Order: sequence, then structure tokens, then C-alpha cells
Amino acid sequence: MASSSAVSSPDASSAPDGVRRALLPTSRLTALEADLQSVWRIKLCLLHTVVFLTALFFGITQWFSGANGAVILSVLGGLLLLMTLYIVFWPRWRYQAWGYDLHEDELVLEHGVITHVRSVVPLRRIQHLDVSQDLFEREFDLGRLVIHTAGTRSSDVVIPGLPLTTAEQIRDDVKQYILDDPLTEDVL
Amino acid sequence: MAAPSSDSSPAGSSVHDPSASESTAANGPSGDSSSDSPAPLGAVREPQRLHPLTLFVRLLTSLPALALVLLPTLTNDDAQVWLPLFFGAVYGLVALPAIVLQYLRFSYRITPQQIVIQSGVLKRQNRSIPIERVQNVEIERQLLARLLGLAKVRVETAGSASTEASIEYVSVQQAQKIRSSVRAFQRADEDAQSSRDATPSEANATAPNAPTSSPRTLFSMSLRHVLLAGAFRFSLFYLALIFSVLQFVDPETLTNWLLLSQDRIDVIVDAMYQSPVITALGTVVVAALLGWLSGILLTLNRYYGFTLWLDGGKLRKRHGLFTVTEGTIPLAKVQVLIVQTTPLMRLFGWHTLEVQTMGLNTDQQGQRVVAPFAKWETVMRLADHVRPMEMPDTFDRVSPLTIRRHFLRRLGVLLAALAPAAYFWPHDWWAPYDVALPWWSLLVIPALGVAAYLHYHYHRFAIHHDGLYVRRGVLRHYLWMIPINRYQVAYATDSLLQRRLNLKTLFVDTAGASAFAYPDIVDVEADTADDAVDTIYGQFHTLYRAMVSEAKHSASPTTPLDLRQAAAAVPRALPLPNPTDSSRA
Repeated sequence: MASSSAVSSPDASSAPDGVRRALLPTSRLTALEADLQSVWRIKLCLLHTVVFLTALFFGITQWFSGANGAVILSVLGGLLLLMTLYIVFWPRWRYQAWGYDLHEDELVLEHGVITHVRSVVPLRRIQHLDVSQDLFEREFDLGRLVIHTAGTRSSDVVIPGLPLTTAEQIRDDVKQYILDDPLTEDVL
Repeated sequence: MAAPSSDSSPAGSSVHDPSASESTAANGPSGDSSSDSPAPLGAVREPQRLHPLTLFVRLLTSLPALALVLLPTLTNDDAQVWLPLFFGAVYGLVALPAIVLQYLRFSYRITPQQIVIQSGVLKRQNRSIPIERVQNVEIERQLLARLLGLAKVRVETAGSASTEASIEYVSVQQAQKIRSSVRAFQRADEDAQSSRDATPSEANATAPNAPTSSPRTLFSMSLRHVLLAGAFRFSLFYLALIFSVLQFVDPETLTNWLLLSQDRIDVIVDAMYQSPVITALGTVVVAALLGWLSGILLTLNRYYGFTLWLDGGKLRKRHGLFTVTEGTIPLAKVQVLIVQTTPLMRLFGWHTLEVQTMGLNTDQQGQRVVAPFAKWETVMRLADHVRPMEMPDTFDRVSPLTIRRHFLRRLGVLLAALAPAAYFWPHDWWAPYDVALPWWSLLVIPALGVAAYLHYHYHRFAIHHDGLYVRRGVLRHYLWMIPINRYQVAYATDSLLQRRLNLKTLFVDTAGASAFAYPDIVDVEADTADDAVDTIYGQFHTLYRAMVSEAKHSASPTTPLDLRQAAAAVPRALPLPNPTDSSRA
């Protein structure tokens, strides 16, 4: 999909006057790369290891100062179980909640497990875009698209877990869109 | 070509030598763009010093620091004499030269392209602010500055939240000269821009009376009007301030004073012991009175002589008693109109009109007061000048389920605060009728219910043909008017609890929106919310599609000038020119 252009859904442009169905049902949005779950899991594992080691250290000191060993073991075991469940399920849910679609004039996003967010970002309102990649994302050849708008609440919208080439393609498409814009509008 | 026009500027009032305008004519590379400018004042083009009296003001304002340094030795009788002398000497050796050096190393100049400010003693700072980025040049005159005929000039730009540069102090005439030359340069810049591209820019479309040159008074407040405005403003802030200052008063002098006036105080103390209820009531009344009075005084100080002018495409305002503030609001930069009122003000028909702009002072959250206190008709008349919008006749309500959610949320907060307080409440503390004081706060639960209903009652929205209108607030009513071309990102969100009730929150982001009060529409039926986002974005899309096709028809977009302009705009908009360089970062 990244080979030609990331712009999709030509029917959105020929919608009847006024109302545009910008918020498509989730099934029609583009999913992120499945590898993103692995990236999230690795990061969560690292974080949880630190937390668990701290808890373990605390437990051992308590044990030496005479606390009930069974209680400590069960607390630590429960913690380990919860962490494992979290690492297994949370990235999956988060991944399933994510979807995006680049239309002709707008970017449609949907994400969030507990609070579900659907948003429409008009391409015209994008001030600049960054493609970034951290150490783990690089291993999976994923990129993150960071979109900056002037809006206060949404000054940066992040789409994680795109294939790097797709992220760059979207960035270039949006850049081209802004360049082709015949309106020289001073918005701010 | 530029030189003769700048020489013909009101040279009688300027203090500069004639070489100044010659040098700018020589180093102005893009002179042809500013050639038809309305005679910019040349007096500020050469590097300028601050007013010499600045030295005096700085010295005076640094004296409290000296007093603070000397305070321990001054109050302590048995301290050695040499200690204050030593501190004084250090102060004289460090602070005084610093003030003089700062003064000597500070210079500013204003060219047709930018404001250049050089400053710093140990670390030199050379700051240049492009003229077209300047949003506002504000002249502020505090009491001391006014006595000496000085003024502080603050330059604000788009994109930065705080004041970009501050020039303090210059003479009042010089301050006005700085502002008028910045304005003249900006106007010349805009003229050049608009003559270059034939497309009607939006700035002109939103400011229909841009070319009028003489400022027109739109709104002013008489002393009576200001006092009335103050009477509606209840402020406990200064009361709290007074009490916090009282804490620092030496208790011994206070006791001495109390001992001296013993017999007079005794009467009051006896009366207080005899009737604690009346004392408590009296305290409340006195506090309320003081709060009311301080509200009046605060308002008087802030808005005395409030005047608002329409000057070309900008609103200018001036107000203040001790500190006179002058400011401008470019109409083309206005994002959202906000009408505020309180229940009491609403009862008498008074409202406050504010505009939301981007990148102004953070302490005002990007909101600027246009009319602090005015009747509804006046507010609407002013709003019409700022941004013509047509109020919708009918507003939609949110779902009534919001009452329940609002009530339960507040109740949760109350219980969360109450439970630990009640648990830790000592037995011998105040407990009327043997019930600890925290439990008494449960009496406000019915009030929470009323508040929840009122919240629902006042929370309304309308998606009108010219924008989105949102009303909200119980103790402070807000009305946001968001024009279509100021929409940024549209959202529909639903939290876990909202999903169970099939509700959503609708929100349209704008530039410079406040972090505390923003126009989100909470608890709309899910389908309505989704449709609303589609409608809102559809409005935006239709508007811009029309504007784009108009721009394409009226001028061919591929003239060389346009291309160059577009190319010049790219690096600012897209900082990554090379598609691959970010991947190697």
C-alpha cells in the first residue's frame, strides 16, 4: 500500500454537498501494523521488570525483618500475574481500538480502549509533521507519525506503528497537499 | 525609492539625525516592497538606547532587595556595624554597575523587516523578531513610570505563549512611535502581499472595514459604569493577600498596640464571647463587604477609563488607573468569540465579551477582554464588529442523562473528600449536635442535585450555518461562538461510563483555547454526536472547497510569484525537507 500513495477512499470526495461521512465504521479504517503489539509488549516488559524488581526487593527486606513469608509470596505472585495479563491483553486491545484513514482532505483517527476517541484532522490545519522512530520501533521497521496542529487540545496527534515507508508516504502526501493549496491563509 | 518617503515622515517630532534614514535606504534590500508604504517613521531604525531615567527606576526597584539583604542586621541591635556596611558595599559594587551595564548594553531598532533587540552583559543576546510575526505591541505604564513619563513596550508574537520582548523603559512618545512604526511596516507588508496575490485573502474578508484609517470609538466605560462593573465582581483575593501579609507583621508590636488600647478592645472581646453566633455572622458579613469593596477597587484599577477603538483591521483598547495598559487585537487573528456572565450579572443583563486569539499572554489564556461589562445588545454589536456572526434562534440540549452523570460525579468527589476528613476528625473538635462537622457537609447533596439540573439546563449547542455555538456553565455562564473557518480538529469521544449510556462528548478544537474552559459538548446521544462531527467537518470542507475553487478561478495558481511564495512557506511549515533524513535520526 505504501508503494504508490497512501490516499484512499475516493468516494469520500464525491460525497453529496455538505455532510461528509468522515467517521467511517471501524472496520473500514486502516489498521496499524500488527508488530506494534510486540513493540508495546517489549516496552511494557521493561517497565514491569523494573517495577517487579522494586517490589521484590521490598518484599525481601520485609521478609528479613520478620514478616510472614507466605503473604509476601502471594502478593508478589499476584502482582506478577496481573502484570502478565496486562502485558498480554492490553497491547492487543489498544491495537484493536486503533484505526486511521487518510482521505483526500482529511485524516480520520480512532483510538482508545477506555475512552474511545474518534477525530477528524483537516489536512489544511496541519502545521507540520514529523516521522520518528525509537529503538524498538526501528527493530520492527515501524515509524510514528506526529502531526502538529494549532489546536490547543490536539497540538500533536500521534499515529504509532505505521510501516516506516507508509509514514513517510503520508508525510509527503500531506506536504504536497499543503504545497498545492491555492489559499494563502493566515490562520493564527 | 524608499528614502524620500521615509524622509517626508513627521521629522519634526523625531529626534534622530538625518543619517539614519540614509543608512536604512542603503541596507533595505527589498525596498521595492515597502516603497509604497505610508511613510514609516525613521526614528527607530537606528539602534536606540532606553530612556536614561530607566537607570533611576531600576535603582529604585532594586532597593527592596537591598533592604531585604540588610534586614537581619538592621533589626538585630547587637550586630556589628561593619556587616551592613559590607553588604552595602557589595551591593554598590555588584548591583549598581550591573544596572548601568545593562542599560549600556541594551539597544533596540525597528526596520521594515524586523525588530532587533540586543541585550545582555555577560551573555550577549541578539534577538530579531520578524515584523509580520508581531501580533501586538502593548504599551504599559505603571505608576512610577507614569510619574516619570516613561512607558514599557511589550512585543507579543504568534506562536509563543508569553511576551516575546519587552523594552522598558522608553518615553511615552517613543513608545507610541515604536508602535506606530511597527504598524506602518506591517501595513506596508500587508499591502505588498495583497497587491501581489490577486486572491482575496481571508484577512480582508474577515475585516470588512480594514482600509478605514481613522480610529473609531466602539465602546467606552464611564466611571459610574466601571464602579458598577466592580460591584458585580466579588473578590476574596486581596482579602487573602492582606491576611497573608499580616502574618509577617511582627507580633510584638501588635501585642504592644493591643495592650495600649486595652480598654477599648475589652468591650469588643466581651461582646464576642457573649454571642459567638453573631460574631461568626459578623465576620462573614465583614469579609463579604471587604471582598465586595476589593472587587470594586480591583475593577476600578484595571478598567478605569476603558476605551475600545476600531482602527483599520485592529481593535485598540486602553484602560487602567494606576497601570495604564494599551493593546491591540488584530481582527484577522480572532479565533473564537466568548461571552461570559455570572448568574447575578445575567439577572441585570450584564455580560463580558472576550475574544480568543493565539499566542498572547498565558495569564489570560489567549483570551482578550473586548468589553468587560456591557449589556447584551452592546456585546452583540461589538461582536458584529469583531466577527460578524448570526446567533441561532434555537439551541439543542444535551441528553438529560447528563444530570445523573453530573450529580454522581460531584457526589463522588464530595464523598472522597469527606470520608477521610470524617475518619480523622478528632473527637473534641467541633461537632454540632454530636455529629462531626464533615458529616454536616452531606447537607449540600440536594444542592448538588440542583446544580446538576442547572448544568443540564444551561448546557446547549447549535450547529449553525456560520459556526458552532456552545453554551455552558452554572456559576459562570459561557457562550462560545466558533466560526467555521476557525475549526481545527473535530472529536467525538466516549468514556467507559458514557458508552454504557450510549452518550458521547463532542469537541471542536480551536487555536489558543483555554485549558480550563473550553467548548466541549458533554453527553450527547452517540448517533447525534457522530452526525454532528460529520456535519461540522462537512461545513468546514464545503467552505474551503468553495474558497479553493474561487481562488483557482480568479487567479491561475502557477504564476512564478506564487510558486516562489509557496516555496518560501515550505521550510516553516514542514521542517523535514528530505523524506529520508528522519529515519536515520
